[in-house]
Amino acid sequence: MLTVRNLSFAYPKAPTVLNSIDLGLQQGSIYGLFGKNGEGKSTLLKLMCGALYPQRGQCVLDGEIMQNRKASALQKLFFVPESFDLPSLHLSQFEQIQSPFYPNFNHENFHAILKEFKVPHQGLLSKLSYGQKKKVLLAFGLAANTSVLLMDEPTNGLDIPSKTTFRKILASYLSEDTCALIATHQVRDLHSLIDHILVLEQGQLIFAASLLEVTDALWFGPKAQAKGASPLYIESGFKGRGIYPRNTLPESEVDLELLFNGLLTHPSQITTLFKSKTAAYGV
Amino acid sequence: MEFDMQRIAFTLRRDVVLLKNTFLTGILVGSIILFLLSLFNMIWDQKLSPDEFLGSFNLCLFPLGVLFTFTVFREFHDPKLNASFLTLPLAAGERLVAKWLLCVPLFIFSFSVVGILIGFFALLCGAFLFQAPFDSTILFQARYWKTIFLFGLVQPVFMVGALSFSKNRLGKTVLILGLLFVGFLFFNFIGFGVLNHDFGIFYGNEITSEAFDEASSDFSTIGKWFYGLIFGPVMLWVSYLKIKEKQV
Repeated sequence: MLTVRNLSFAYPKAPTVLNSIDLGLQQGSIYGLFGKNGEGKSTLLKLMCGALYPQRGQCVLDGEIMQNRKASALQKLFFVPESFDLPSLHLSQFEQIQSPFYPNFNHENFHAILKEFKVPHQGLLSKLSYGQKKKVLLAFGLAANTSVLLMDEPTNGLDIPSKTTFRKILASYLSEDTCALIATHQVRDLHSLIDHILVLEQGQLIFAASLLEVTDALWFGPKAQAKGASPLYIESGFKGRGIYPRNTLPESEVDLELLFNGLLTHPSQITTLFKSKTAAYGV
Repeated sequence: MEFDMQRIAFTLRRDVVLLKNTFLTGILVGSIILFLLSLFNMIWDQKLSPDEFLGSFNLCLFPLGVLFTFTVFREFHDPKLNASFLTLPLAAGERLVAKWLLCVPLFIFSFSVVGILIGFFALLCGAFLFQAPFDSTILFQARYWKTIFLFGLVQPVFMVGALSFSKNRLGKTVLILGLLFVGFLFFNFIGFGVLNHDFGIFYGNEITSEAFDEASSDFSTIGKWFYGLIFGPVMLWVSYLKIKEKQV
């Protein structure tokens, strides 16, 4: 569906942000793109949607190079940026002027999602809070029914109940033909939502695996229950939760935060278990 | 190359809805200035000549049109808007055509209709206040089309400026135009000096003015085409390339 091939990018007069990224996104999946601040998550999303041009490599969506910004390719993709603004219009006006650009736009879903998010229909969009504006844009993106939905820090600005609603909405309204990529540094917000994990570090995709692969290969839990296995990464703390090679251990729930911290602290120990799959993931 | 009239119509509708307040404010300000200028012109000689009305109309049309062009392209540079705009399903050519239709034909038509209405109103007021003759034919002149043609040639230059610069866009565009003008002036001066030095002919000599008159009558058509091509279609092509290469 959306393929990233040998992608490298640097902002003018700045060091390389992304270096030789290879990645393939498949339909019906939700990808979580994690990384510390400034690791290039937003940049990768902007390159994928054609808002930035790579120095090397390309992003291809259904055979179309995104850098060409063809209308036929852009119709298949919706990007929810982290920093955005909405015009000084009523919700209905916004819907009227923006939705015709997306041939599969579902007006019923748009209103249903807004209702679930409890966004007021009256008043100007520009007067809404940042969180409310984000809900409008997320609702629009989901209702647009595009093949690819790119979201940059979608839970930033949402209150705690809204984050839960967001997870529910995404699970209910994302069609099986759609692939969603969520870039965030708030790992906890995506727990139980994503089915693929991508981690960016120092301009490279250091980890890419499906949740199923992670469950098969790793065990997450306290040292006391690890049956003497040697940890790949252990977090100092009250219970000393750690990441262990699964081997004979029973299946455990993936602790995204632990995995992320483990990958940043001792990347090689964990990634060696996935190395052959991470290089050119999904391509 | 992708080109869909329906998408252009969607974009036009989108821009009209988004910019209607700016558009109406601009037209209103232009109308007030046009009305006052027309009225002031009638104070001295108790009449509004065709030249006076068209001059006042141009004085409002050009600055307003330029400012409107810069407003229309604002979302290209606004970091909070440009990602959403650039990922809107539109081809570069469609973006350019939609913006041009808004900034040139639609703007000219709207301001011309308002201009005629304001002209009528100013003539009525003039007839009442200064006993000026009410001659509505002055509002409809053949030279109006020359004005429109000139606006059509000049506007793309500012469109390039609006697309190229992210800060102080109008100032930088005017500065570049000024520098270009000075550059042409120097080129002209040096060229004149080099070609005529041996003949002892200098600027200000009677023979020089005659030569210029001859040259302008002989080459005016070529000149019109040359400058028309630079300021019109070439600048539109440059705008298209600027849209294509624009990133967030």
